Formats: sequence, C-alpha cells, structure tokens
Amino acid sequence: MKLTLGPLLYYWSREDTLAFHEAAAGWPVDTIHLGETVCSRRHLLRLADWLELADKLAAAGKQVVLSTQTLIESESDLKALRKLIAWVAERRAGGQSDILVEANEWGAARLLAQAGLSFVAGPTLNVYNPDTLAMLADMGARRWVPPVEMPRDMLVAMRASAAWPVGMETELFTYGRLPLAFSARCFTARHYNLQKDDCQFRCLDHPDGLTLSTREGEDFLAINGIQTQSARVMSLAHRLDELRAAGVDAIRLSPQARQMARVVETFRALLDGALTPVAASERLTRLMPAPACDGYWLGEAGMAWHPERIQEEIPS
Amino acid sequence: MNPPASILARLPALPRPALPSTFPPVLARVVDRLPSRPPSFAFAAAANGLAWRALRELDWSAARGKRFHARVRDLGLNLYFSVRADGFHAESSQRADVTFTASAADFARLALRLEDPDTLFFNRRLRIEGDTDLGLAVKNLLDAVELESIAAAMPAGLGQVIPHLRRLAA
Amino acid sequence: MSPSLLELICPAGSLPALKAAVDHGADGVYLGLRDNTNARNFSGLNFDTKTLAEGIRHAHAKGVKVLMALNTFPQPATLARWHTAIDTAATSGVDAVILADPGLMAYAVKNHPGLRLHLSVQGSATSYEAIEFYRERFGIRRAVLPRVLSLAQVENVIAHTDVEIELFGFGGLCVMVEGRCLLSSYACGDSPNTFGACSPGHAVRWEQTPKGMETRLNGVLIDRYADHEKAGYPTLCKGRFAVGAETYYALEEPTSLNSMELLPEMARLGIAAIKIEGRQRSPAYVAQVTKVWRAAIDAVKKAPETFQPHPAWMAELNKVSEGSMHTLGAYYRPWK
Repeated sequence: MKLTLGPLLYYWSREDTLAFHEAAAGWPVDTIHLGETVCSRRHLLRLADWLELADKLAAAGKQVVLSTQTLIESESDLKALRKLIAWVAERRAGGQSDILVEANEWGAARLLAQAGLSFVAGPTLNVYNPDTLAMLADMGARRWVPPVEMPRDMLVAMRASAAWPVGMETELFTYGRLPLAFSARCFTARHYNLQKDDCQFRCLDHPDGLTLSTREGEDFLAINGIQTQSARVMSLAHRLDELRAAGVDAIRLSPQARQMARVVETFRALLDGALTPVAASERLTRLMPAPACDGYWLGEAGMAWHPERIQEEIPS
Repeated sequence: MNPPASILARLPALPRPALPSTFPPVLARVVDRLPSRPPSFAFAAAANGLAWRALRELDWSAARGKRFHARVRDLGLNLYFSVRADGFHAESSQRADVTFTASAADFARLALRLEDPDTLFFNRRLRIEGDTDLGLAVKNLLDAVELESIAAAMPAGLGQVIPHLRRLAA
Repeated sequence: MSPSLLELICPAGSLPALKAAVDHGADGVYLGLRDNTNARNFSGLNFDTKTLAEGIRHAHAKGVKVLMALNTFPQPATLARWHTAIDTAATSGVDAVILADPGLMAYAVKNHPGLRLHLSVQGSATSYEAIEFYRERFGIRRAVLPRVLSLAQVENVIAHTDVEIELFGFGGLCVMVEGRCLLSSYACGDSPNTFGACSPGHAVRWEQTPKGMETRLNGVLIDRYADHEKAGYPTLCKGRFAVGAETYYALEEPTSLNSMELLPEMARLGIAAIKIEGRQRSPAYVAQVTKVWRAAIDAVKKAPETFQPHPAWMAELNKVSEGSMHTLGAYYRPWK
C-alpha cells in the first residue's frame, strides 16, 4: 500500500508552504499533491512556484500530482486550469511522463481527456458507482479517490462489480480534517465581517482552519475560506486491515500545520509493520489538532468515532 | 357503506369555551359543539364521520401503531389519537410519538390547504415535537390528498362547505 | 423551434401540488419518485406510478411539461433502482429527466436514446467546460446551475455553450455548491448525494425547552430560537454556531433566495428557465409562489425595460420564505 500526501487545503505563508513541501521531499511518502484546490484568491504561490516545487519533488523520487481547483467560477479560473494542463502535456510530449493531474471537477476531467493525459479522479467528482468510474477509466483516469463519505461496504461493492475498471487504483482519504462542503461564499471573510473580494487573506491566521462549535460548546466544523471541514480528524489507521481487505491501494494523509512529519512516520511504521494498527492510532490521537472520527467508513455519521468496532473479515 | 348522515348533529351540545377573536366564526361554531371532555373521542368521531372515507385509501403504514397528539394552543385542547385500519381512534393515554402544536385557526387553515406548514413553522406558529419523520410523513400524506376528493366523500351536503370555508378563512 | 426563454419550472411533491402549479401558470413542473432516486426523499412525499400517470395527464392536457428529477448518485448495491426509475420516466412520457450522475446518463442514452436529458444542479457544473463535458458525452439539452455564480459569470457560461441554462429563481437557498455538500451526512450519516435528503426527518428533533425551541440533527444542536425569533429549516448551513467569541449564523441566516428583481437581466442573457425550489412544501405554497412568478415573468416579457417587482408580489413571497427574509445570494457579488 502506498502513502500519499494530499493537497494542502489551507492557506499558509509562502515560506511555510515552501518549507513544508521541501521537507516532504524527505518524508517516506510515495506521492505528493501540489496546487491550490480551495480558493482562487490565494496567490502567495503562483502556478510557476508550484511547478518548480513539482520538479524538485519529482527529482527527489516522488510521484507528483497537481490538484485542480474544485470550484471553477470565472474565466480566469479556467485559464489557470488550462495552463496547468498544458504544462503537464508539454512535459509529457518531452518524454517526461511522471507528473499527473488530479481532476476535481468535470471540466478538468474533460480537458485532461482531450489532452490525452492520464489523471487522478479526485474526491469531488462524486463517483459513487462503477459505471461512472469505468467511464473515467476510458477517459484516462488511472487512480480515483472515493467521496470522503463513502463507506467500506459501498467501496467493496464497487470493486465486486462486473463494471469495475481493471487496473484502477483506489486512494482513500484516510487522515485529516474532512473537506465536507464548498461554497461561493467565504465563511472566513464573513467571520471578520469582510467581503470575499476584500478578505484581507484572513485564512493565513488559521493554519488548521477556524473551529466552529455548537451553542453547547461542542467543536463541530472547521471553516477554511469557502470550504467547510469537519472539526474532527478522520483517522483510519486502526482499520488498516479493513482498508487492505477492501482493496485500497493508497492512503491519503491531508496536511496539517504541525506534527505532519510525525503523522507520516507513524503511517510509514504502520505500513511497514513496525507499529500495530492500535498503537499507530493511539500515537496519532496525540498528534492531531482535534479529536478523531471514523464514522463514514462504518456507514454512519461522519463525526462518529468507534475505534472498538474493527471488522477484519469482509463479508463476501 | 355510508357514513352517518350528519355527525355534527349528533354531537352533544356543551358549554361554549371562550374563543379568541382571530378564530373564524364559522369554524368556531363547529368547534364549540365539540364536547370538552373527552375531546379526543369527539375529534376521532368527527374525523371518522367527515373525512375517513377519503383518507382510508391512503398508505397509513408509517402511522401504524403510533400515537398522535394535537395541541390546540389557544383553546387549551389536547387531542390524543391513533390511526388504525378502521379509522381514527381516541387514545386515553397522554403518551404520544409526535405532537403538533398550533392555534385552532392555524390548524383550520392547514386543513383547508390555505396555509403551508413550513411557512407556519418559520413563523413559529406550528411546532412538531417528537418523531419528526412521522410528523413529516403524515403532513405529506395529507398534502397528497386532493381536497375535492375529501369533499366528495363527505356526508351529504357537507362537502359543499369546504370551498365556502376556504373563502371565509382566506 | 424558438429557444426557450424564462420558462417557469415549479416544484411538485404531490399530485395536488402538481395541479396547483399547472393551474396557476407553470410552464413546467418537476417531480420525483418515492425513494432515494431524487434529492427530496422525504417520508410521504413524491409520486408512484399511478399518481405519476395522472400528473402527466393533467399537465400535458394543459400544455405543461413534466420533468422528472433522478438527481442522486446511484450506488452499486442498488443500481437497478435508478435504472428502473429511468425506464419508468421514459415509458411514462415525461418530457425530460434531470440527472446528476454520468454513469446514469450513459444508461439513459443507451436504453432510451429519445429521452431528453437535463443536468441537475446536483451535478455541480459551474463552468462551461463542465457543461460541455455532459453535452459531448450525453447530449444534455439543459443545465441547472448551482447557486454560486454571479450573473456576469452566468453570462460567460452562456456565451460558451449551446446548452440551455436554467437558474434558481426562488426558494430555499443552498449556501454550498449543490452536490458538494456533506454536512448532513457528517452529522447524521445521510447526505443528499446518496440518501436524497439533507437533514432527513428521522434525524431531526425539535424541542421546546426553557431556553427556547431547540433544533437538533442527530443530537447536534443546530440552533435555539427565542419565542419571538423566526425559524429556519433544520439544515446545518442555517444554524447558529460559535466561532471564536461570537455566536452567529456562521454560514447563512435562515433566508430564501429571491431573484425576481434580476428578471430583466436574466431575460437579456437568454436564461431558458427559472426554477422554483420547494418540492417538500405544500400545495398552498406552490399555488402562491407560482401565481406570483407567472405574473412577474409575463410582465418582464412584455416590458423588460420598465419591469419592477410589484411590492405585493415581494410581500407574498417573503411571507412564505424561510425566516421571512430573502436574498439575491451569489447573483449579487457582495453576498459572497
């Protein structure tokens, strides 16, 4: 099973973003995602900066994936998307075919298919059945990330289907605050009584998102600009055997502001058998910015946390 | 099988409760013929006589074995009932799976399709407590009945009252 | 055939609601079946084959189109349910189906090549590149845009595709990109994508407490209303939460979308249809809202330059709005 460092969902300073990804070159992950997937106003790293990082990480032996914007609103969003795809196509034409693109909406999937580039089908393409996945495979998808709410039983049923595209790799969102929703509205700007067009980039002050609690004081969601995340941190380390049995090929770890290197090491040790799933899970709870959850995998409320309910045998 | 020709005529006359001024006078005349004790029985009898013929074809499976409570806020009236294969049954126990609370006038406007329940809910004039799904199921079940079919199934002459009431209460 | 312009598309959660829409001036009604194949999967709502047939008969007799929403995402264990629903739509004679899932579109095209396809708002297509994907592959004829674009952005979409564009005109306001919101399933396990409902009734509890009326979703406190406060739907995006030291409507107030004042601009852009939200609502709502929007669309078609929403229309619409308030949403840029 492979380890993937997902796209950075937050807005960090230029220095922090570069330092994080340069450090990641030395982390024991197989794949690293780059690029801004949340908000087109975030500009501290331009496309050229991301592409420079891509080259560095590829040179360090990492599989690099450039993730596209999830919510495309304007012509300039499309321009950025086309530019990114053209760059990868050019490299491919030049014989370097190592860098992939992750399509996070269907416009990107269309452009990638037109360019004849193989790609990763991101979690917001909403693939819930094997027919849609088979079509993506025809278009050139070689890896897919199920919607973060997909339960184990649905994933198992997908793979058992006759329509399942042979050779398709499955990457599961396994660790991190869950990206739950996207809006035209910026909730961080709203919190500061600012308009999105004049947001003063307040996301910079919230490197793990801005926690939202119920009126009873229960931490519930995290605001990240136009994205709404779970307050809790999805963690499926204790379910490694279930993940393997369900045919998961790669696990995605979503970046957090602190302790990410240790999160990666913990998963590496888990995959290498140096840590038991239970021990890895316990270690992770000490590294998380908030309590854990694993409900989606069990087909329950995403915020639920049931580490005691481990099922090693997948019913056939 | 025909329902009783005039269920209202057979209801015992009772002391009149004071009705709020917002209560449509025509409806008030109907309501104040209802016995105050136990009102649940009178309600079930009236509902069976007036409407069951049109409602019995509905799929009441969601309501099977459930107990309903309608609280008429301004009249201080509490109606407890269930819906069985043969119609509405008054319940003497005050336990309910779902409770609807509104004023008499608003209940009447809902029954006559003059008001949308969500609108009343937004304005805090309708409350649903307990098993929300059951409440929604019944609301949607009743919304799916055509008013004309209820009127047509009513005891002789009464059906014509519905359009009349709608005009008066609008 | 001249292209559609500002068709009025109204919600029908039941046969009486359908008749209310048809009888009060809708050009089209949209409806769904009684299961999770559509995104208003609420108990007791929607159509079976008998009411569907009668609804289509009633609508077609008055020249009104019937569109069937099959806009949730088919899942492997129950794929046949969606396929059967497509077959039902095709054989019953609906005028179009409104779909979100590409796999289901492929099934429809293969098995019912004559069936007209619309892209549902749940398909989350916000750019012409995405819309063109569905047109190239499946020949969709119309796309319903998520409530995230400004009118200038809508204009740019229209300039780059021949697919008809339908916009939301009035009703409950999704703050999130439709199809890209899992807040409901995070709290209670069921999302619009798979279950066909946001905040399904089985997970919602309202309770009057000494502190006010509390709304909960699977135990999560969405909001608590004082007696004088207007209430909203029990959806998480309309709740009051604490962020930092402040407790407020962190995502959106309980409010409805009302874009009536933009009708002249929508006519100029060539918007094919205006959608009214609210299949979960009663025939009374459908009648009230359809009547007002019919009058408004007729007025704007007659004299777009002088069109002004009549104050009585706006009052009537506010009356049935969530929180008795309305907003232009993303059509008005500062909302964002």
